[in-house]
Amino acid sequence: MADRPRSRGRSWWRAALLTAPLLVTRLAVAAEGDSTAAGASPESTPDRIQALEELTQTHQSDLDKLKRFKFSGYIQVRWETAEFADDSVKVSGSPAVVTPANDERFYIRRGRFKLTYDASPLSQAVLYFDGNTAGSNRNLTLLEAYLTLMDPWTTDHRHQLTAGQFNIPFGWEIERSSSLRELPERSRAENVLFSGERDRGIKLVNPWTPKIETVVSILNGYGINDATFPTLDPTSAKDWTARARFIGGTLDASASYYDGITTIPLTGADVEVKKTRIGGDAQFYYELPSAGGGSLRGELYVGGNLNPDSSRVLIIPPTAGNPVALLRPGADPSHLDTEFNGGYVMWVQNLGEKFQFASRYDWFDPNTDLDHDQFERVSLGVNWFYDGYTRLTVAYDMPKTDALVGAGFEDPNDNLWTVQLQHKW
Amino acid sequence: MRMRRIVGMAALAACMGFAPAWAARGITIKGSDTMVILGQRWAETYMNGHPGSVIQVTGGGSGTGIAALINGTTDICQASRPMKEDEKRKLRDRYQTMGTEIPVAKDGLSIYVHESNPVKDLSIAQLKQIYTGQVASWKVLGGADAPIILYGRENNSGTYVYFKDNVLQGEDYSARVQTLPGTAAVVNAVGRDPNGIGYGGAAYGKGVRELAVKKDAGSPAIKPTAATVQDGSYPITRYLYFYTRTKPGGPVKQFVDWVLSAEGQKLASQVGYFPVR
Repeated sequence: MADRPRSRGRSWWRAALLTAPLLVTRLAVAAEGDSTAAGASPESTPDRIQALEELTQTHQSDLDKLKRFKFSGYIQVRWETAEFADDSVKVSGSPAVVTPANDERFYIRRGRFKLTYDASPLSQAVLYFDGNTAGSNRNLTLLEAYLTLMDPWTTDHRHQLTAGQFNIPFGWEIERSSSLRELPERSRAENVLFSGERDRGIKLVNPWTPKIETVVSILNGYGINDATFPTLDPTSAKDWTARARFIGGTLDASASYYDGITTIPLTGADVEVKKTRIGGDAQFYYELPSAGGGSLRGELYVGGNLNPDSSRVLIIPPTAGNPVALLRPGADPSHLDTEFNGGYVMWVQNLGEKFQFASRYDWFDPNTDLDHDQFERVSLGVNWFYDGYTRLTVAYDMPKTDALVGAGFEDPNDNLWTVQLQHKW
Repeated sequence: MRMRRIVGMAALAACMGFAPAWAARGITIKGSDTMVILGQRWAETYMNGHPGSVIQVTGGGSGTGIAALINGTTDICQASRPMKEDEKRKLRDRYQTMGTEIPVAKDGLSIYVHESNPVKDLSIAQLKQIYTGQVASWKVLGGADAPIILYGRENNSGTYVYFKDNVLQGEDYSARVQTLPGTAAVVNAVGRDPNGIGYGGAAYGKGVRELAVKKDAGSPAIKPTAATVQDGSYPITRYLYFYTRTKPGGPVKQFVDWVLSAEGQKLASQVGYFPVR
């Protein structure tokens, strides 16, 4: 009992000691508020706002510089399987043939990123890399590197001169990004005639009106997939292209021309083969009320070319003893130059917002004078768009070729299923 | 066996996403900051009159709205400028359509100055000189001997693009333009700055003075009013748009039809814009 008053007294002092600093702080805050209201430090708030505005302007300026860089890219993860496990199937990746021992596989078809720098409205630079897996090679490949100068005399700077490594301006499907394609691969004719799709040179793009555009280019002529690229361009003469496009919106169409020379270094006189390609393409777009948009497309390639099959037959490849190729005895070099034709027709139909159906018939005849060398293919595909960036493609390819079996020709069992997941940013 | 596996995967995908987006989350509208108040008023009034309907409206700028339309994250894009050719191409690459453009209101792009500014009108050529940095003092234009402080919009804004295309005739803005995130911010900045000048939608011009604009030096100066915007005599008159990926159907069509009805257009006038019908 005697301790109780003492204890109560200690508690009062303890409480007073604890609350005193709080009270002092509170009073100080109140006093500061009063003095501000009374104008004791009238410049502080506007000064702070001005300082913040200056800071914001600095940040905005820095942000504007960063906005000149644009990163974009996409990844395609693919699963391929041969429909029949007992045959060899030519595919687009590496290894380029799916065999019975390797008839189901996952691989990275494309892993690409692009860096664009818009220095000013009058110039732009682009670097574009591919990180695909070509067999055991997992190196980064430079796909494109170019700079573009825009004209200063039109208000929208629409005339452009590009120099560097870029897509060959021919036809329609070459310049269309693989990330947009409704079926996994381009047509066979394009794959053979413009392997790699890119070359080095300069090009001039002139949109004369919103509906008419012309493009001319001068190129090395050997493309990035050629064995001699980029260290050797055996011809001092350059290839050139020209294309005129009509852009109607509902109907687009273009005509293209490519002219160049392929030189085959041989022991003795080299052989030169004319490389001429004439192309035409058209795309028609429509809309079905209950389904959505659709398109019909077609493209044709005709011309003369060095036929790889002919060169394999007529030319003895280099050996250690004879490092330069030889023409086989009795072979007529004019037979190396063959006329070809190829192309495709395609139908794409959106089915609501999430689905898309695609079908294509494509063909390529590398030598119109020969039989049994033609390639034909029917491809079907469905795209499912998971979100604005990701889609799943299920495609089925039915190629038709003639393979010599015994005394006759048969179409091999080489149908292919492809399942591809793509994310694009 | 393989066939079954592939068909199974396709069936799974089908189950996960055939329904249209608006069926799951109502109608989404995204885009122009100029139109965001107008869109919200339309949505509120429509939802009041159509119980059960859900419409979400957000801004971000016309460019942002068009990107969302292409990515499939909005049903309707509000834009204060027409779509560019490369935007139409992206839409066509994904949906095989050019998009559907629906003009839903008209706007007089107003030029704001501080209420104390003695300058009453400017020609398009003078505006171009001001915003490209060739004229930097109000004195040259008959005003005070003071620098012109430029306020403008960010480059994802449709108003930014429209002003650049139609007033600057494609030339670049001066580096001295202070970019602000919305028309309200531009009006607020000009309202506090006696030397400031800004541009934006007619509906926002409160607390500032809107200048009369001359098509060229010899033309009469026209103020942005209902009559001058409607008859097109105000030189910086533009349409405000809805964009959809395909021709509108279902609830989206019902909403668009209502916006274009007498009731929807009356609401546009009340907000400060001008009807298209």
